[in-house]
Order: sequence, then structure tokens, then C-alpha cells
Amino acid sequence: MADDEFRQQALQHLDALHNLAVYLTRNGSEAEDLVQETYVRAMRFSHRFQPGTHLRAWLFQILRNTFLTFYRLRERESALSEDGVPEGDAPMFHDAAGRDSESAGAHMDLDRALTRLPEEFKTPLLLAEVEGLALEDVARIMDCPVGTVKSRIFRAKERLRGYLKDYA
Amino acid sequence: MTSEKMEPQEDDGGMGRLLRERLPRHPAPPVLRAAVVEALMPERPRQPWWALWLPPAFSAVATAMIMLLFLAPSLPSAPGADPVHLVTRAVLAEYARSVFWGETRSDVVPVALPRAMEESGVALSWVFTGDEDIQLINAKPTYLEGRRGIELAYQDSAGHTVTYIIVPGGSVALPERGRVQIDRWRPVVRKENGFSLILWRQQGLLCVMVSDLVSDDDLARFKQYFVKVRSSTEPYAVY
Repeated sequence: MADDEFRQQALQHLDALHNLAVYLTRNGSEAEDLVQETYVRAMRFSHRFQPGTHLRAWLFQILRNTFLTFYRLRERESALSEDGVPEGDAPMFHDAAGRDSESAGAHMDLDRALTRLPEEFKTPLLLAEVEGLALEDVARIMDCPVGTVKSRIFRAKERLRGYLKDYA
Repeated sequence: MTSEKMEPQEDDGGMGRLLRERLPRHPAPPVLRAAVVEALMPERPRQPWWALWLPPAFSAVATAMIMLLFLAPSLPSAPGADPVHLVTRAVLAEYARSVFWGETRSDVVPVALPRAMEESGVALSWVFTGDEDIQLINAKPTYLEGRRGIELAYQDSAGHTVTYIIVPGGSVALPERGRVQIDRWRPVVRKENGFSLILWRQQGLLCVMVSDLVSDDDLARFKQYFVKVRSSTEPYAVY
């Protein structure tokens, strides 16, 4: 793939990468740093990308690996409140203006519930259900078998359901 | 990797649909988009070395350093002052001390670097070791404002010393004031006491580059050094 074509295509996935970065880091500026670092690495290793394969999944893989390398240590170190939600973590949901309070509450509950999911569950769930990636691609990104991905997604949903019942 | 999209899971009692419909999406803000576009731009052709070369003002720098050494102890130090300012002053003092006492003499970098990383608590998964313009000449652990970190010393072809200090960032937040777009980053650029500083946060660490490159032309050169170091060095806190 020509460099220009690579750049153009890579840029198309910026919003999706930023969305996942926000849910992984729970911090706006760290999410931006993570996305920038992802693109810097993607450019650095662009020669390793195999044309014809899934660029979107490749970028997600770089983003996740970068997150695990540089951010997860701090995530583990961050203080957790009793319900497992990082202290001081405001819900990322910020588009409630103009919506009814019930809808906004549902957003916030879902957001809070997602925060409590471990990364191993949260990432495959978001990639498969929100970003619509194939399970094979998710498995490649997570570096585990497809069966494990299915299991994690299933368990992630079970946990989410449980958390949402708690809030209700 | 395959490119086919996954059909939404049907066995989840609506959880997948709930996520798709109710979970807020966070599109990239315009600032990030601009930065990424900049990052993806093809590299500009390098300027010839002679275009970067300008005669260094050695006497002015030496005077500035000596003045700093004599004046630094008498500078006011209010408790609870701006942490960025405190770190900046500490970095300047360390830089002046190193340069004045000749501590930036060349060392055996391959030996010094692992030792410095081990003792500083700051590791480098990538490190810029130099090119025809600037060379890494030393690495050592350092201690600034109660923070243990690593100090890398570079020397450019004109003999200017550029010190790059990395310490745990903690809660130090860099102000918006003084931020300058350099290539694809927006660090804080300051001139203090006859020295130039570039500060930024990276992977939770506070990174500071300091040098005696202060004139407009020299500062442009200093920014180029920043781009080289920033794009090729990846520090992370070990602890």
C-alpha cells in the first residue's frame, strides 16, 4: 500500500480509536495521548502492515498493546472505591443535555457498569458489539483464541447485566 | 486479518443492542484530529547541516551560567509555589551545575544507560542516541524536587549541551500558557534565566529538555532537537 493511501485509510479510523481509548483510559487527555502514540507507532511500523488485511483491526491492536504497555500499570495502581469504580472517575457520558433524565440515567448506569469491567472483558465487548469487528479480528487483537473471545464477551454481558441490576 | 463485519450477537438479551444504542461515543476532538493529521504527514525534507549551523554565543552563555550560579541561591522560594516552576528551577540548576563543572563529559553510553535506568526508576524502551547534528553523550540518575529520574546529556555539533530530564509526573499539570505546536506535539516552551526549556508529559512522566540555545535561530534548532528526541524516545516508569 502506498504511504499516502495508508495515511488516508488510517485517518478514517480516528474516531473509533479515540472512542476505545476513552473507555480504556477513562481520561480525556490520556485517551488523546494514547491515540497519538498509536498513530506514531502505526507510521513507524507501517512496513509491517500487510496490504489487503484489516487496517482497522491492526490499529486497534496497536492501541491496545500501547495501552497495556504504558497505562495499565497506573490503572492497577489507581485507588478503587468500594464498588470497584476508580475514585474521582467522572462518568464519561457527556451528552445528556436536552435528554430526559431517565435516558440520561440509563447512559450513566451503562457507563458506570462498563467502567467496572476488567480490560480483558471490556475491550472484546466494545470491539465486537460497538465497533462491529469480526470475532477473528477481535481474537487477533486480544491475542487469544476465538473461543476465548466469545467466552469473554458472554461473561462481560453477564457482568454488565448484574451491575445494571445493582444500579436499578 | 479478515475484514468481514461481525453480526451482532443475538444471545445476549439485548445487551449488545443496548451498548450500540445507549453507550455514548467519543469522537476525536478537533485538536487531536489536527495533531494526528500532522503526525501522518510525510516527513519534510531535512535542512542541510550548514543551514542549521550558527556561531554559538559562548561568552554570553558562560556569563549567563555564572550569573545563574551566583543568583540561584538568592532567588525567592515560596513554599507551595507552582510545581512546574519548582521543577523548572531545579532543572536549570542541575543543567548549569552539570555544564559548569564539566559533568557532561562523554561517558560510555552503552554502559551508563542501563545503569542509569536501573537506578532512576525510569526505563527507556526506545532512546534517541543521536545523528549527525546531536549525540547522546551521557546518562545518569538524577534527583529533582523529591523525584528520582533519569538525565540524558546530548551535545550538538556546535558544542551546545542539551539536557533531557525525565521524572515521575505525579500530579504536575502543565499549563496551557506557553504551549507551542512543534511538529505533532504541543509542549510548553519557556525561556528562563538565559536558558530555554521544553516541557511535556509523556506516559505519566514529566519530561524536560533544557539548553542554552536561546536566540530565535538557536531556539528553532532546539525545537528540532526536541522533535528528534520526542519521536524516538519512549520512557516509562518502572515503579
